[in-house]
Amino acid sequence: MIVVTGASRGLGRAICEQLTSKGFPVFGISRNMDKAPFPHMSCDVSSYEDVKAVSKRLRNDGIKIRGLINAAGVASMNLAVTTPSGVTQNIIRTNLLGTIYCCQLIAPLMLRNKTGSIINFSTIAVSLGLKGESIYIASKAGIEGFTRSFAREMADFNVRVNCIAPGPIDTNLLKGITRDQVIKIISQQIITKQFTPQSVSDLVEILLDDRTNSLSGQVLHVGGV
Amino acid sequence: MYKIENIKTEIFDVIKSLLDNKNLAITDDTPLIGSDSLLDSMKLVELCIALEEKASVIGFDFDWTSDVAMSKTRSMFRTAGSIAAEFVRQMELQK
Repeated sequence: MIVVTGASRGLGRAICEQLTSKGFPVFGISRNMDKAPFPHMSCDVSSYEDVKAVSKRLRNDGIKIRGLINAAGVASMNLAVTTPSGVTQNIIRTNLLGTIYCCQLIAPLMLRNKTGSIINFSTIAVSLGLKGESIYIASKAGIEGFTRSFAREMADFNVRVNCIAPGPIDTNLLKGITRDQVIKIISQQIITKQFTPQSVSDLVEILLDDRTNSLSGQVLHVGGV
Repeated sequence: MYKIENIKTEIFDVIKSLLDNKNLAITDDTPLIGSDSLLDSMKLVELCIALEEKASVIGFDFDWTSDVAMSKTRSMFRTAGSIAAEFVRQMELQK
């Protein structure tokens, strides 16, 4: 089973749909998970207790977990000095703490089987140090650092941990960014075109494959940077 | 119904099963962390998972997280005896 966070919409939902279409069993989690064509459970990843409940259910059901995709995330384009504290906390809690909580609580399910692939999500904005995204970038840079260190902790158990850092993908997270801004960011990628959720889903699928068992602790940039 | 004295023996058996040298005797004072530890970090995590499963069979949640997990003086992992005591403590607490 592949656990996907942020499964109700955006990139997380696109990943769920692609994996399902390729025959992967998917378990989706999201804050608002009313209905979905795959097994799912409501969960706020920024709540340790919520994530613990998911982990407990999966363990009690005896479900073998072979992948965790931490796609849940929020963004807010703003200057650091004009960002309200509540927004700052929400970004850090959802993006950084949410990723850490899911890794802490779902990874032990993989350790039992000594196999698995964890995929976290960062952004091209970390490498570019984009203006007006400092809080968001702080949360994602934290994920990159966590990924590198956590990968070493998991290596003994044959569990790989990698991070995908896309450029601007056409999802809800881009709302609030003008087309001109998107074009400017894309122009700084190595491959100067806007990639789609499918490109990211393809990379997820590749990282789940055992043929990438030599890769761990890496940050992979969609579009290149 | 699990007896506390049996649980301690079972936990020591789990620790022994994780060792390369199965002939080593496990006592209350057997260190689980630090330079004299018989377990590396991987084996320590395996012990946690085994204890979580044992707790699940007994019918309680074993929480292995602790802000002093690596403390040589306060950690539940400092010795075989201390981890057994913590396991029993959590079991009693959730009765």
